[in-house]
Amino acid sequence: MTHALEIRNLVKTFGGLVATDDLSFDIKTGQSVGLIGPNGAGKTTVFSQIMGELRQTSGKISLFGKTLGTRPTAERIRRGVSRTYQIPRPFLELSVLENIRVGFMPNSIWSMITKGPDKDREIQLALDVGFSQNDFEKPASDLSMGDLRKLELARTIATGAKVLLLDEVFAGLTTGEISQISGLIQDLRAKGFTMLMVSHDLPALEPLVDHVIAIERGRMIATGTFNEVINDETVRASYLGEV
Amino acid sequence: MGLRWFHFAAWGLFAFGLALLPELVSKGTLRTLIFANYLAIFAISWDLLSGRTGYISFGHPFLIGIGAYTSAILTKRFGVEVEIAIPIAVIVTMIAGLIVLLPALRIRGSYFALVTLAFMELMYQLVQVIRPDLTGGTRGMSGIQTLTRGAVNGFYLSSVLMFVIAVAAWLLLRTRIGTALTALGLNESAVEGSGLSTTKLKMFAFMASAFVAGLGGAFYVHYLGSIAPRALFDINFVFTIIVAVLIGGASTIVGPIIGAFFLTFLLEYLRPFLPGAERYFIYGGIALLLYMYQPKGIYAMVMKAWHSLHERAAK
Amino acid sequence: MLQILIQGMLLSGLYALIAVGFTLIFSVGRTLNLAYGAYLMLGGYLYFWASQSLGVPKSLAVLMAMAFGVVLGILKFRLIVKPLKGDHIAVEISTLILAVVLQAGVILIFGDSSKILLPIVGGVIYVAGAPVTYNMLIATLASWTILLSLYLFIRRTDIGRAMQAVSMDTKGAAICGIEPDRVNLITWALSGGLGALGGVFFASYTQLAPSMWVGPLIISVAVVIVGGIGSIIGTLIVAHIVGFMEVIVVSVLAPELRGVFTMGLIILVLVLRPQGLFGREEL
Repeated sequence: MTHALEIRNLVKTFGGLVATDDLSFDIKTGQSVGLIGPNGAGKTTVFSQIMGELRQTSGKISLFGKTLGTRPTAERIRRGVSRTYQIPRPFLELSVLENIRVGFMPNSIWSMITKGPDKDREIQLALDVGFSQNDFEKPASDLSMGDLRKLELARTIATGAKVLLLDEVFAGLTTGEISQISGLIQDLRAKGFTMLMVSHDLPALEPLVDHVIAIERGRMIATGTFNEVINDETVRASYLGEV
Repeated sequence: MGLRWFHFAAWGLFAFGLALLPELVSKGTLRTLIFANYLAIFAISWDLLSGRTGYISFGHPFLIGIGAYTSAILTKRFGVEVEIAIPIAVIVTMIAGLIVLLPALRIRGSYFALVTLAFMELMYQLVQVIRPDLTGGTRGMSGIQTLTRGAVNGFYLSSVLMFVIAVAAWLLLRTRIGTALTALGLNESAVEGSGLSTTKLKMFAFMASAFVAGLGGAFYVHYLGSIAPRALFDINFVFTIIVAVLIGGASTIVGPIIGAFFLTFLLEYLRPFLPGAERYFIYGGIALLLYMYQPKGIYAMVMKAWHSLHERAAK
Repeated sequence: MLQILIQGMLLSGLYALIAVGFTLIFSVGRTLNLAYGAYLMLGGYLYFWASQSLGVPKSLAVLMAMAFGVVLGILKFRLIVKPLKGDHIAVEISTLILAVVLQAGVILIFGDSSKILLPIVGGVIYVAGAPVTYNMLIATLASWTILLSLYLFIRRTDIGRAMQAVSMDTKGAAICGIEPDRVNLITWALSGGLGALGGVFFASYTQLAPSMWVGPLIISVAVVIVGGIGSIIGTLIVAHIVGFMEVIVVSVLAPELRGVFTMGLIILVLVLRPQGLFGREEL
């Protein structure tokens, strides 16, 4: 099996601060991996480097065996990796369906003009992430935090990326919404999506991941199954007072 | 594109109205209407660049002027046929559009608006200094070949041009590109995060705008028969274009047309009371009030009324 | 050579005076006040009206112009900037419209033709054979005095420090108990007064005309852009760059090219170094 994502000796420094410290790991295609660590451990920084929003100081990131180099974010997404944000970034004045539509759009002006939107796919995806019929035309500015997360997840899936980086998808969600999103993620796993998930909600994360990577101060401190990592002494020490 | 019967009806009615106008109004009013048509074209051009993307152009006459000057110089100084000069002018304007695009790749908001203003002022100064034998320097050029004779023909030509541009732009923005451009204005990084190249989208908006500006500028100069830098690269001209778009309703294409006609007639009806530039006092005052209290413009007001009417009829 | 030096110093002084009020608003409120040029225009006209039509003593007329500028600044903040709640683009568009309205208002009252303003202080001295009007000399001295006192005001007084705080982080300042609205109001008032004063000198340097607001606005924009947000020292330095550049271009190349290099400089700096030459480490 090829690796969907390969991180090799990734280093990112901001002045004197080391945000990512010689980090290496692989994710096999179809695998679902949890990335955990205390606040400020550098989880989101790893996401930003994979997406090309931040340029790594050194090290290599490969997607499906091809190195990403200095490619811009949009191109990385077209090559198959896409992410959500801790603070969702919706298009506030666009409706739910229109937000999803932007995710589905091909990066070709010609096709944007000549081909209409595929309404059925948009609606199906909106229903999948848990929107109901009467949410479709609502502008994103009217949505709750939970709905905004669902919308962002939908747009991320819509880009067609097969590797999804999910940043705190459960934060700010009600229990009902958590189980809905959780079910959706299970579906995505069954469909063969590769996932890297950051979450502070460990109980919600547990059933969704094949294994877990724990980092602290940008360095990997443990890796293994969920239980192995959670019971690791270093991890417990670094998490003390957090879980 | 979700076209409905009333869309066809509205555009058809508009075309019919334009065709009928020369029978109904005086020659003088017709000349005013010609100006309204060209203003509408410039306003549409501005709307394409700035209405959705959030890249506000304070120097739109830069593009319009390049179209106008290119065609004027080609026909007058080099004896090029108008039929060839205008397409060349449009192409040159689009190349100029790329120059405006360049800063937009790095800066946004106020800074971008200022660069466009600087472009316009730069153009104003350059036109007077560089090769005044071609541009006519400070005094500009006159005796440029005109395409039509008389108000009626001028009106028909400008109306057809405006109508075609308006429908094309309106249709264009109803496709997915319209949604993408709105998204670009709302959150640029999220557009990038949806896998779309923002550079490509900006380039498209700027090229479309430059195309319309070049076309409008070239036809306008061949209607006027003369061109002068002070009247063209003027902040008052920028003001007129922007106000037309905002009063009518930005990002709608239909709004700028409404705005252009509304303003032209407002200016015209003020003429008996205030013959000179002081008309702008009332005109600008109305624009300011409207913009402060209804930033979405007349179009949004009309649509609101239409929807409430619709709902009442449905009940 | 000496001629260029003297002319350059004088013009730069004037430019610094014109630009400082604009810089102030851009630093504190982060908005471009495109009607800033109109303060200058109205200040100039009010001075003209007071001193040359009413016969008010010149020094009093200058004070009246400044007071008028302060009132304008306050009104503008209250009626336009505050209701638009920090929507920068909307403020810029509104102030642009306002500038054109004010221009038309001036035409309505004073007519379309330009007017010659008598110098505030008459007389000429010759420095190394170059004529220097007392008027320009006073303008330059006033400019330096004002910039220096403004610098001290911002550095040393509580209000000044509050302005600094708001310019760096509006929300943070608000949390610390500073009312951003009050600070903004003071800034707009100050900017209006400075603009009107700059207008009196600028009008006596060129002439009074309803369209005279565009030139100084562009110069202010150039100074702010090239200098970078929020640096009074940067304003002073860049005013000298722009001023000297113009004087050199006019005397060495051609008078018509005067503005070309200024525009070119704006575009170049914005594209290559959007934060300006002098960043924003100090107000």
